[in-house]
Amino acid sequence: MKKIIIQGLIIIALFLATWFVLIQIDWVTIFKVQKITDKTEEKLGELFWEIFQKTERENKNPFAVSSVDSIVTKICSTNKIDRELIKIHILEKDDINAFALPNGHLIVYSGLILNSDNQEELSGVICHEIAHIQLNHVMKKLVKEVGLSVLISMTTGKGGSETIKETAKMLSSSAFDRSLEKEADIKAVDYLVKAKIDPEPFANFLYKISDKENEATKYLTWISTHPESKERAEYIIEYSKDKKVKYEAILTNDTWDKMKEKLTE
Amino acid sequence: MINAAKFDYVPSEHEAEKASNSYLMSLIALIAGLPLPIINLIATLIFYLGNRKGTYFVRWHCTQALLSQLSMLFINSFGFWWSVSIILTDETITDNYIAYIIAALIFNLTEFIATIYTAIQTRKGIHVTWWFYGNITNLICKSES
Repeated sequence: MKKIIIQGLIIIALFLATWFVLIQIDWVTIFKVQKITDKTEEKLGELFWEIFQKTERENKNPFAVSSVDSIVTKICSTNKIDRELIKIHILEKDDINAFALPNGHLIVYSGLILNSDNQEELSGVICHEIAHIQLNHVMKKLVKEVGLSVLISMTTGKGGSETIKETAKMLSSSAFDRSLEKEADIKAVDYLVKAKIDPEPFANFLYKISDKENEATKYLTWISTHPESKERAEYIIEYSKDKKVKYEAILTNDTWDKMKEKLTE
Repeated sequence: MINAAKFDYVPSEHEAEKASNSYLMSLIALIAGLPLPIINLIATLIFYLGNRKGTYFVRWHCTQALLSQLSMLFINSFGFWWSVSIILTDETITDNYIAYIIAALIFNLTEFIATIYTAIQTRKGIHVTWWFYGNITNLICKSES
């Protein structure tokens, strides 16, 4: 009996040893497995951002930009995120929407800022999008929806401009998988708490807008593409309940109001 | 690794054919089982169930064929689900994965060759016992006499 067990173990060991020896070889290079490199992501980010630059109007009002910037900077610095990585852009559009593009481009529509009652709500959405960027959800989604080969052909200029446009549209108007959304929500709460921003208004924002969902789905892109707002609001509240932190405002109320004014000009 | 041992009795022509068939069966299962490992087991199991009431020689070789398939089942299922997770989830192809698949192929190939050899030998009535598997079979299959 003992002999059989030893023989069995030898066979298992033999298999593991074969595997281990084979791991030493760089198969990925030998078989030229296509990999997403930082360069690919950089290029894709540029490509998609160019599309939005061409089709939409960017709001470059220095007051509005620097106000949103200070929110982002605060979130990044308290969460040890490279600030250089997040490239925030405000586009003039009434839709309540914000989304992330590859390579850290974060696009916020002015409609979202104008419909946020306070800076905490806006910060929550920004944190959620930064979480998507930090967790590499954008590239994962692209690979899944479009396919690696198409993405790579885009960066080498072989992909048709129609495909690029369609993909950019997909990024702006569809949500991630439910599990990825939840992951981003939870991460967003972590970011908010670390930046000493109260996460409750973020949950309220989802709640508030889920009530409006029926009346004005037209402008509520961010919400209609993000499923089950109420459920999300609930787990955000649940998750942030026992975080005891003294919250501080990033912008003064005057600055917040003035920024909204500037956006409507 | 593979020994020709002396059997309790000299198997008849009919028995040798049946025993040899069980290896052929597992050979076919092995080919089909590379992409879908569960086939390995089902096929050999059916053959095993059909022959377990056969003569000692037939039973013995059916069991050995089944056992050899079992270990392949583990190796291949792991590779199979790993491949599925690469296709369907965020998993990507890594050196580890390719190395595993190649190792699995090597083991499948070894098993393939051993099975062909054993099928031929048992057809001639020679009692072939495999290293490790033969010993387990001896534990499971006891002569009725």
